[in-house]
Amino acid sequence: MLAAADAPALHSGALMHVASRGLPRPRGRSVSVAPRAEADVAMERYAEGDDASFGLVYDALAPRLYGYLLRQTRDRARAEDILQQTMLNMHRARASFIPGAEVTPWAFAIARRLLVDSLRRNKREVLSDDGELDPGPDRGPMADEVAQARELATRVERVLAKLPQSQRAAFELIKNEGLSVAEAAQVLGTTVAAVKLRAHRAYEALRGALGDVLGTVEEGKP
Amino acid sequence: MSATPPSAELRARVLAAASAEPVSPRGAGARRTTVVLVAGFMVPVAISLYLGWPSSGGRPFAYVATLAVAWLAVGLAATWGGVSRGQSMLGRSTAVRIVVATLTPAALLATSLVAALAWPQTLHDDATMGSHLVCVVFTLLCALGPLAAFAIVRRRSDPVAPRLTGAAIGAASGAWGALAIELHCGHASPTHIVLGHLLPVVMLTLVGVVIGDGVVAIRARSGSR
Repeated sequence: MLAAADAPALHSGALMHVASRGLPRPRGRSVSVAPRAEADVAMERYAEGDDASFGLVYDALAPRLYGYLLRQTRDRARAEDILQQTMLNMHRARASFIPGAEVTPWAFAIARRLLVDSLRRNKREVLSDDGELDPGPDRGPMADEVAQARELATRVERVLAKLPQSQRAAFELIKNEGLSVAEAAQVLGTTVAAVKLRAHRAYEALRGALGDVLGTVEEGKP
Repeated sequence: MSATPPSAELRARVLAAASAEPVSPRGAGARRTTVVLVAGFMVPVAISLYLGWPSSGGRPFAYVATLAVAWLAVGLAATWGGVSRGQSMLGRSTAVRIVVATLTPAALLATSLVAALAWPQTLHDDATMGSHLVCVVFTLLCALGPLAAFAIVRRRSDPVAPRLTGAAIGAASGAWGALAIELHCGHASPTHIVLGHLLPVVMLTLVGVVIGDGVVAIRARSGSR
């Protein structure tokens, strides 16, 4: 299961995005744009016959995919297994890779499909602790902040868990994983307008349920 | 954005697994796709040759030619929208595939009705249940080749809506089968067109849903959790 150190990271990103809605997101953009282009170029080279480029495809995509899978499964072994399956599916599509195609939404779509299949096979294991995260050991002076962040993450998780799956998926792909609305629409097999609507509804639900927390977060911003 | 990166051991495992399962680069893949599609389309061609040279069978030649061109256009459009993936590895949009799966039989019907209205003498003929059945069987047989070829080309390629892609593939292959038999069928009444030529397209669309689930969908290989 997930270690305590990972717990605050689960949805704190989503929480901050909710708090800063409408503001520029330089961090998210700077993190996501470079690997995306890198993955596209590497996969293109791999499809052209450069065997060594598959390692670059892995390096560009694996951290983001693993983060996504870990957040969804809360199980390192399963996240690693699905990540491996995702990468191997991409490897098998080498001969049919379309020149100029975007790799990131494709990779996330494969990962999401394998994740859904995996969760269906292991229904009883999903959120066996009812969404509660492993509290982990006391971490000294930072314990209060960690505990507070963990509680916020848990609250966000609970609100998201009550949302329709379509809204939750759209919100998480955009806010947590840094995909663009268009990319999320591709991953979910729907339109850009539908994804915008779903993410907006999820945001409104979060805002309604966490209004007090958001006020605190916004007050604490520089 | 990940709190914990995947282990180096996992990277080595993935790269080793990829090395153990060599896949040809794109050039070889394109050649293979071409061979598969040509082989698939040889099936309706071979059946057509078996049935003899295309014949109007008493229908006005202009009617047959008009319908053949219209159904050729429907087949090409359905293949473009339902089988090819455009510029995305995830294929064309869901809306395009829904249109292909649902409107292909409708487009075939609409064009046949327009042609029938343009040549009113085709509205009535002596088609029997037996002739409907013969056209159903031959349409299905002719469509099998394109259906198999499309399924092979799109095998394990759709992680989002494989059943829909399968339905679109089925509809597209049905359009090709309907075209092949239309060139030989001597009946033109709307009843025969619907029962003998369009019913198999609908059947193939439904078969495509099953193919989509079993062949087109991306699945974890056995041995994974």
